[in-house]
Amino acid sequence: MKPAAFAYERPESLDAVLKLLSGRRGRAKIIAGGQSLVPMMNFRVLQPELLVDINRVPDLDYHRVEAGELRIGALCRHTTLRDSALVRQACPLMHEAYQWVAHGPVRNRGTLCGNLCHADPASEMPAVALAVDATMLLRNSTGERTVPADQFFRGVYETAAREDEMLVEVRVPLAPKGQGWGFHELSVRKGDFAIVAAAATLRLDGGKVSEAAIALAGCGSHALRPSQVEQTLIGRTPDDSVLAEVAAACAAAINPASDIHGTAEYRRDLARALVARALRDARGRCG
Amino acid sequence: MSHHLEDHVIPKSRQREKARGDLKWIGRDLKRVEDPRLLTGKGKYIDDLALPNMAHAAVLGAPHAHARVKSIDTSAAERLPGVILVYTGKQAAQETGPVASFSSPPATQHCMVIDKIRHVGEVVAAVVAEDPYIAEDAVNLIQVEYELLPVNVDPEQSIHATGDAVIHPDRGPTNCAYDQEFKFGPVDEDFARAEVVVKRKLKWGRSAAQPIETVGAIAEYDEGSGRFTCYANTSFYNVVNFVIAGALKVSPTQLKIVPTIAGGSFGSKIFTHKHVTLTCALARAAGRPVKYIQDRIENFLNSDAHGSDRIYYAELAMKRDGTILSLRFKVIDDYGAYFQFGVGHHGNAMAQVTGPYKINSVGMRLIAAFTNKGQQGAYRGFGSEVTNFLIERMVDAAADELGIDPIALRRKNLIEPHQFPYVIPTGNVYDSGNYQAVLDEALRLIGYDEWKAKQAQARAEGRCLGIGVATCQERSVYSPTEWWSLNPISNPGFALTSVPEGVSVRIDSSGKIFAQLNAPFWGNSPETVVTQVLAEQFTVDPADISIGYADSDSGFNGFGPGGSRYTVMVTGAIVSACGKLKDKLKLLAGHLLEADPGDLEFRNGAVGVKGVPEMQKSIAELALMGNFFRMSFPDTPEFDSGLETTAVYDHTLSTPPHPERKHLGIFYPIMGHMCHIAVVEVDPETGKVEIVDYAAVHDAGTMVNPKTLGGHIRGGTANGIGTALFEEYKYDENGQFRNANYADYAMPTVHEMPKDLKIGHLETPSPYTEYGIKGGGEGGRMGAPAALASAIEDALKPYGVRIDEVPMPPSKLRGLIRACTPTATRDSG
Amino acid sequence: MDEVEIRLTVNKKERRARVMPRLLLSDFLRHHLGLPGTHVGCEHGVCGACNVLVDGVAWRSCLTFAVQVDGCEITTVEGLGSIKKLHPLQEAFWEEHGLQCGFCTPGMLMVACELLAKNPNPTEDDVREAISGQLCRCTGYQNIVKSIMSAAQKLRAASEKAA
Repeated sequence: MKPAAFAYERPESLDAVLKLLSGRRGRAKIIAGGQSLVPMMNFRVLQPELLVDINRVPDLDYHRVEAGELRIGALCRHTTLRDSALVRQACPLMHEAYQWVAHGPVRNRGTLCGNLCHADPASEMPAVALAVDATMLLRNSTGERTVPADQFFRGVYETAAREDEMLVEVRVPLAPKGQGWGFHELSVRKGDFAIVAAAATLRLDGGKVSEAAIALAGCGSHALRPSQVEQTLIGRTPDDSVLAEVAAACAAAINPASDIHGTAEYRRDLARALVARALRDARGRCG
Repeated sequence: MSHHLEDHVIPKSRQREKARGDLKWIGRDLKRVEDPRLLTGKGKYIDDLALPNMAHAAVLGAPHAHARVKSIDTSAAERLPGVILVYTGKQAAQETGPVASFSSPPATQHCMVIDKIRHVGEVVAAVVAEDPYIAEDAVNLIQVEYELLPVNVDPEQSIHATGDAVIHPDRGPTNCAYDQEFKFGPVDEDFARAEVVVKRKLKWGRSAAQPIETVGAIAEYDEGSGRFTCYANTSFYNVVNFVIAGALKVSPTQLKIVPTIAGGSFGSKIFTHKHVTLTCALARAAGRPVKYIQDRIENFLNSDAHGSDRIYYAELAMKRDGTILSLRFKVIDDYGAYFQFGVGHHGNAMAQVTGPYKINSVGMRLIAAFTNKGQQGAYRGFGSEVTNFLIERMVDAAADELGIDPIALRRKNLIEPHQFPYVIPTGNVYDSGNYQAVLDEALRLIGYDEWKAKQAQARAEGRCLGIGVATCQERSVYSPTEWWSLNPISNPGFALTSVPEGVSVRIDSSGKIFAQLNAPFWGNSPETVVTQVLAEQFTVDPADISIGYADSDSGFNGFGPGGSRYTVMVTGAIVSACGKLKDKLKLLAGHLLEADPGDLEFRNGAVGVKGVPEMQKSIAELALMGNFFRMSFPDTPEFDSGLETTAVYDHTLSTPPHPERKHLGIFYPIMGHMCHIAVVEVDPETGKVEIVDYAAVHDAGTMVNPKTLGGHIRGGTANGIGTALFEEYKYDENGQFRNANYADYAMPTVHEMPKDLKIGHLETPSPYTEYGIKGGGEGGRMGAPAALASAIEDALKPYGVRIDEVPMPPSKLRGLIRACTPTATRDSG
Repeated sequence: MDEVEIRLTVNKKERRARVMPRLLLSDFLRHHLGLPGTHVGCEHGVCGACNVLVDGVAWRSCLTFAVQVDGCEITTVEGLGSIKKLHPLQEAFWEEHGLQCGFCTPGMLMVACELLAKNPNPTEDDVREAISGQLCRCTGYQNIVKSIMSAAQKLRAASEKAA
């Protein structure tokens, strides 16, 4: 399965990248890790006219804390983030979710920003981004803008990023003190895309929930955050029956598709089970 | 013995080499001879090879499951720079004929689509170009108009299809490819006297071998000599070569197939006739050597190697005390769009359909259906792994209904050690065994009692822990009667009765031993095994032995690996060949030492007088003399120059099927046995199964190389885990193959394996084979699905879930659990 | 769509070539550089038979274009060891029966190499995680894990000796 022909540019500055993207009307694609892009090209599902290789652009491979946020650059690889003590501290939910993402060689090349832009509805990181209220920094040749995660993921392989924009940075608010987190996934094999995955965070105040976030992968055309259901947790004691009730409400709130990996009913079952487990873990980790 | 077997005869053993304890090389964990080149990237798999001036092929796979090709416009493709040729069915119809089929009547198949498309992925057109990238570009420029035809994917519906939905109208106006009933023994009487009849509907989903290397070939047509040379990772090339030649419309003398090592097969590369034929045809048409390596998607869609796909309606006749009387069933097998082995998979299954049990009779109604899917081929078990699943599920069901412990029920019915050779109702024989000892060892290995205690504790905690025990047969060394013995008696097709294995052995003038195999390497260890046997026979060191692979010009009578036959068959041939050479060496030595050949023995690479250590001649010296010094020996023919021979070995224990098929004769008697015990924990909320512990004890007779046999047990178990839990070829109602890639077809990774798969070996040698060796290549796949289904069902006993089908992925299992969960508890999560 | 010139080091040898941008690294190594030890099983990044080390990091060569590794240092299985001098990993696989058909083996060896360079004393779980992205249809993986653990021991012993 060989890809169709394309022109190739390997610019050495971000400006040059953005210039190449402008005016192409979507027929140019950025290649960072290529772990999602190249299979689609080999299948000829995607046939970009121009491939813009950003791997030699300096100063894109970073992750650091700045202005109270964990900021992750466009070329920061999954392996780096998975192994990072900084990530483990600044966003333990991300660290936990990374135990479920792909495999070594794929993580070596794949980037978080690339993964988020690819927006596979069964991918783990978009759900994490939603749960932690991440912000995406998009840039094109004329300027930049930020888009919050809950507006970024639009549909299957569809994001708010315009054809001439590049996701240059993801900004993750630092996990507040005492916040607990949980992440559970069901996939056929470990490392596969999720059939369903659930991410959750909780904060308690006097034993009652003061903040809650729940996000789901595999339950719709993109990662979802059932915020109305989250709200029902606020002010309540998160005992097992309450969490089960919330999990059931999440399952009722989603409208997943049936496909070769599972029926809609199965996905609801999974949502119910996995949200409950993620919430229980989060509760146990509240400080 | 039942009346229907009254004429059944078990021939005497023709074993020459007894199983014994004083063997030096056989039984050793010799490091594999094959490995150094494989470890260093010098394996020379088919895609590693290149011929001068070689071009590359890519194909257009049919996008529809059932359709006629109305028109093909190749003009744009032909104009693309770098394209040499675009080949369509029109040309193939003129230049090629039907490809091989063992079924009777055949379901005609060509190397590409000639009249109509019968499943997605069939080759509609092929491009030959300077490189594979351009070839694929050109494929995408081919314009085809299709006339769609009705699609059938459900075998139970397809057999009632009519009109345009009939897939092979020239074979008959129906998609029912076969419908026959058999009774082996007094089935009706046994069911009449049954006290309990256990009934189940069981399903076995379609999975397939999917080795990591796909099918490939490089073909060259030499116009000067009119000969084809084709390199391919296929098998059967020196026995059924003439059929491929026929498909190419040339004489068999005009086709040479050269085997390359295969990156795995598990049966799927046993006879890739279609691929070889197409590549040769392209080379001839293009006037240049052509390489065609299937990509992964093509390998899913179009490599004619799908596994069994069956529905069983089964009944087990029992007495209340647990005695099994009879097994009868109706089976519907979805064969896909063609029928290359006919119902051979079911003939094969008849070798051990009653499992390791004393069952008096077997009744079968076999229905084979054509559907618009890829056709079945060979996959590790060739249909017997399915009946292992069948009988084990029925025995577990009986245990459940009768309230008898499933292990106790098995013990009650297991054939006993003194009863061998044992004739089963179908006429096949089990040569030797000790099933009780294998069971005991497996129970010990897994720590059965400790697990039972842990299970009780887990259940008290509300966890679903289950233990499943499967006692299964692994027949080895097939006779080909299995391929046709179920065919219509009046028209069985090619009713071959032998699948011999030949070998040639030569000793050169420096005393080194060369053996030429007539079979390919698949990941089994032919070079190692043959080296060990030769070393044993000649008392030499493995370093003095070299192994090669013959092509179809120089090779002969070699059916190669498959059906767990190769080690036994090639050892038999080696023993024959060595016998001849050793006799010659003794003759030469006898003359030189002035001793009677009868007083001579082989020791440490020399031939010497027994009991007289100083009177001996090294094999090297004898070989030198025997090759170059004719005049040192008497002028009688037995001293003629040369130390080389060929030997062909036939099955040592096979008989023809009864003319009226009251039984099928002896066709697969070298009977291995295994006990697999799986311990699983099921997550009832998600349906996920974790294999917590696993033991597999195998009896494959005398082991040549325990470590490599262990490899088949482990690898086979991995295949079986995939079959049981994850793997299924998913065709939708339009015949579209929805998961034809490695992301969506879930073969086990290391994480899906139990962390500590314990294996054990037992040896009950065969009285019929050389050294008592039995085949073990199909390994763990024969037992794992049954063990896992049993374990999952045991785990979910509190829910009353029955596991009647494989695969059982989490989504399906959760569905069963949900259906068995009372509504009140269901919604509380 | 023009060819691009690339220069890179492969198994410690400098190589130069002109390649089309779409030429996959797997095809480049196998068919342009005469290094067929890197195998192709799926061309969609799942089986892992195509792994090579790029600057010491395991990449899927079937998901990489040759043009992307301009200036890089590549190690393939041919660079690991030779018949005359096997790498301890290759020795260990041989001793522990860590291969049957050999097709997945180069991919396994390269990730194992990467693992042991990063972590000379891995646990079995570390090894399993390292090979979790590699499909093997023959062995059932257990002997592969054993082989890598054995190789780790060999390498540790060798470096202790050298120290």
